[in-house]
Amino acid sequence: MSPHEHSAERPCLSRRAFLLSGGTAVTVTLLDGPLNRAFGQGAALKRASYPARRIGRISQLAVDRPVPFQYPWKDAYSANMLVKLGVPAGGGVGPARDVVAFSTLCTHMGGPLAGQYRGQHKVVGPCPLHLTTFDLTKHGMVVSGQATETLAQVVLEARGDEIWATGVMGLIYGYHSNLAGRA
Amino acid sequence: MAQGVTPYYLPEDRIPLPPADAKVTTTACDYCIVGCGYKVYTWPLGREGGPRASQNALRAEFPAKVNSGKWISPNMHNLVMVEGRPHHVLVVPDGDARVVNVGGNHSIRGGVLAQKCFNPNKPSQERLLYPMMRVRGTLQPVSWDTALDVMAGVSRHVLDRHGEHAWAMKTYSYQYFENTYAISKLAFGAIGTPAYAPHDKPGPGPDTPGLDWAGIDAFSASYEDWGMADVIFFSGVDPYETKSVLFTSWIMHGQNPDKKLIFALPRKTMGVAWGEQRGGLFLQVIPGTDTVLHLALIRIILENGWEDRDFIDRWVANSWEIDAGMGRGTRNTPWQWFTTWGRYGIDFAGYRKWILGYRWAELDTAARLTGVPAASIRQAAEMLARPRPDGSRPRTSFMLEKGNYWCNNLGNTTSYAALGLVCGAGNRPGRVISRGGGHQRGWMGGAGYPRGLSPEKYPGRRKKEIDLDRWVAEGNVRFAWVIGTTWLQAMAASQELMDVFHRLTRQSPHQIASTRPAAAIESLTRRADSGGMVVVHQDIYPVDPIGTQLADLVLPAATWGEEDFTRCNGERRLRLYAQFNDPPGEARPDWQIIAGFARKMGFEGFDWKDSNEIFEEAARFGRGGVLNYHPLVVKAKQEGRRAHDLLRAYGTEGIQTPIRMVGGKLVGTKRLHDSTLQLGTPEGPTTHPKWLTAFGTHSGKAVLLRSYWEDFQDFYEAVKPTGDELWVTNGRINETWQSGYDDFRRPYIMARWPSMFVEMHPDDASARGIESGDLVAVENDRVLVQTGGFQGVEEKELTFTELRRAGHIKTTTASFTAVAVVSDAVRRGVVWALMLWPGSPANSVVPQVPDPVTNRARFKLGKGRVTKLGESPHKRSFTTMSLKPRPIV
Repeated sequence: MSPHEHSAERPCLSRRAFLLSGGTAVTVTLLDGPLNRAFGQGAALKRASYPARRIGRISQLAVDRPVPFQYPWKDAYSANMLVKLGVPAGGGVGPARDVVAFSTLCTHMGGPLAGQYRGQHKVVGPCPLHLTTFDLTKHGMVVSGQATETLAQVVLEARGDEIWATGVMGLIYGYHSNLAGRA
Repeated sequence: MAQGVTPYYLPEDRIPLPPADAKVTTTACDYCIVGCGYKVYTWPLGREGGPRASQNALRAEFPAKVNSGKWISPNMHNLVMVEGRPHHVLVVPDGDARVVNVGGNHSIRGGVLAQKCFNPNKPSQERLLYPMMRVRGTLQPVSWDTALDVMAGVSRHVLDRHGEHAWAMKTYSYQYFENTYAISKLAFGAIGTPAYAPHDKPGPGPDTPGLDWAGIDAFSASYEDWGMADVIFFSGVDPYETKSVLFTSWIMHGQNPDKKLIFALPRKTMGVAWGEQRGGLFLQVIPGTDTVLHLALIRIILENGWEDRDFIDRWVANSWEIDAGMGRGTRNTPWQWFTTWGRYGIDFAGYRKWILGYRWAELDTAARLTGVPAASIRQAAEMLARPRPDGSRPRTSFMLEKGNYWCNNLGNTTSYAALGLVCGAGNRPGRVISRGGGHQRGWMGGAGYPRGLSPEKYPGRRKKEIDLDRWVAEGNVRFAWVIGTTWLQAMAASQELMDVFHRLTRQSPHQIASTRPAAAIESLTRRADSGGMVVVHQDIYPVDPIGTQLADLVLPAATWGEEDFTRCNGERRLRLYAQFNDPPGEARPDWQIIAGFARKMGFEGFDWKDSNEIFEEAARFGRGGVLNYHPLVVKAKQEGRRAHDLLRAYGTEGIQTPIRMVGGKLVGTKRLHDSTLQLGTPEGPTTHPKWLTAFGTHSGKAVLLRSYWEDFQDFYEAVKPTGDELWVTNGRINETWQSGYDDFRRPYIMARWPSMFVEMHPDDASARGIESGDLVAVENDRVLVQTGGFQGVEEKELTFTELRRAGHIKTTTASFTAVAVVSDAVRRGVVWALMLWPGSPANSVVPQVPDPVTNRARFKLGKGRVTKLGESPHKRSFTTMSLKPRPIV
């Protein structure tokens, strides 16, 4: 069974996400379009409690030029980068589905990933601490290294030319809960 | 199974914190040799701790600071049963660690240990729960009593009728002292069979004989030594990919973070790229040619007088010390092969004369054979050994692993030891020659291997250990008990071996048709008597095909975290791996299963009440060895404690073996052969073997061994790729190193590596129309397999040339499929395949012709043709299998 068939036949995944959210209201959003129908169907996000914030404009992004921004909060752990990869990516928004955003704290031990984006390969890393590298076209999957989670991906929405951050997929380094004490 | 796991991953965005009163247990990682320390927090469902230090059992503030070692990722959490009640569990790298994984460093593998724990709602639900017997082709649950009765009934018959040589075991060598002690006590003691092989080789014996026979213990170093070195030469290993924390804590840092790294490998990996960026060197060797590389390096060093003469004068054996009974071993051991015959061991002057006149040690020859530019070889020699202008020498250390010793085992390991010795390494801080290691050190022999009973023999009267695969293939085994290993995929020419197993088991007309033990025994003994084989597989998961397709009985084992166990890591650090949750179903620890069987057989000495009793009993048998913990047991007895409990008090730090007693206190041993170690009078149970402060030979001096390319050349010429064939070598990757059996049950890891893969050079790929993400077939239509040839009489009878002349080499075919990753990280002409992917075994295209002297396999020397089958689903997926190059710096 291919991964695509698998997820399409498992609506239970959205129920699972609902249960994980602790019973709060869940807004189901597809992460990306037809390019990744399978994942989108499976990955219902518990976004209700995440703030929605405008973080940039598609027209102002240049390929391979990451832009830092803070989300979901204003502390040092909410450091992210917004980047137009120039190739379609999982969770990518915009006409080319190539605009993505990720935390810049390594999910191994919190090493700083700002400045480590590699445009040639569309990866970020290696982390200066223990050399982990993440694939930004595949939802922050580890390419090589020691992180025990994918790099936390900021869920984006394109509203016309505006880019809005509306959630986070994965636990941000440092936090025990992305939403604890913030509701 | 690999195919059953959701191949994409849904990350979570919170973890439950342990309440301040959560139970804390210490353990170490179940996986690789490094053996990082972990803390386990368990507490009943329904409560959680808070983010203030006073509110949680980690005593940590959240958010956790960068590099604090206090953050917990969702993969560190699971739900388990503790005494029948559901609990949260967190398995967290020990942020307070001062040794090994200092400050809570960890690998991607250890960091996801929690997902290993049995949880019926997660893929670990695949654990074996009940003993099963294959009745009319289907595995059905039976009682432990039934399973053990059948095994004992068949075993009695096989031993009576066919002898102990027909009763075989194939087991892990590493999965905790308590289990391996029980296994060896049964196999070598009670049964007395020579038909035994560890999980990773065809039979017992040293992995790195060149080191052992030079007098160097393969695990003599401490992690601190790798940290202190000025230069490290890595042969057939990148410890970033395998042994992550040794690299990221000790090699990238340690006492000397400015060290230079030299790697000899066919494939560039992350550690290599990192090392090159810092002034290191990458010698991209053609597979199988390391011996001539080492010889050329030694020759350059000696031609220039860069050798460490003071060290050599003091620590390298002269001819008297080698030849006059002062070698390492007694007569009738493999050692004699190297000494009395005068072919290998030699003093320094003789070695120098030999290598300066040996044509295979010439630089130009080496450059041509290895594919490494002569200038790079010369530069490596300078980095390793050239004294500085002030006359001081770099502290040079040497690490080897399977890329070295799974090619040309004898030549590569002897020449590597000699290279290290001329550079003055082997017995001083920061100057060590050691293996990096694979699995942890969990073997504690309850009885010695009965070499005298082995059916194999060198020319002359020297016995050698068995090659169990060949022994099975020749129809000599009638009962085989397999514990904690796939056996077939892990061995060479694995598809040929699978055919053998199918023929001897499922294709026999004698199959179990009734669940009655007596009837089952009758069917199975008939099979044994008609030349077939009965197979028992004991493991934690169903393993394909040995358990799922072939075994007549499948037994569920309890594992890490489900029983108190002990073992040592790569610097001989002994820890207690504490029990913290319930084994699933009726699973039992391996020692208990062994004991149950032994009692059915009527053997004495298998009446242990718990694993601590075995730990205490086994201490007596480890007294003379490098893993000696006997003083700890004595100390525990003095204090009226269980030895496990005393070790428990040492937490994640443990204590390095051999353990000594000094001033009434237990003292660990940092490194072996330590010429700087001051030993007083041995106290109480302490022993002071010579190898604590000198080399492991009778003289205490290290032995230089000559390495002849001609010993290997005939085989090498026969396995080299020709025409459009490519080398198909194999190796491991960081993300699944030593943890593959659990990784198939971890969606996080399976999303990254959902498939078998091969790396190909862009030139080789484009010539075949292959792109990254394509599914390819790898086929070898000339897989060489040795048949028979167990006993040598004439001097050269067991060489490849003579074996082939005598009809002992046959040719078979093999193929596997994989996803291609096109990358210039791998040498042109070489395909690199992931080793040990159960459904697509890379070892199938590897020759099954062991080294004639050491009986070690040549796993790295496969070859084949590669063709495109189509696109894999991962080529265009956003959720599975990154195809990016890995060594990016």
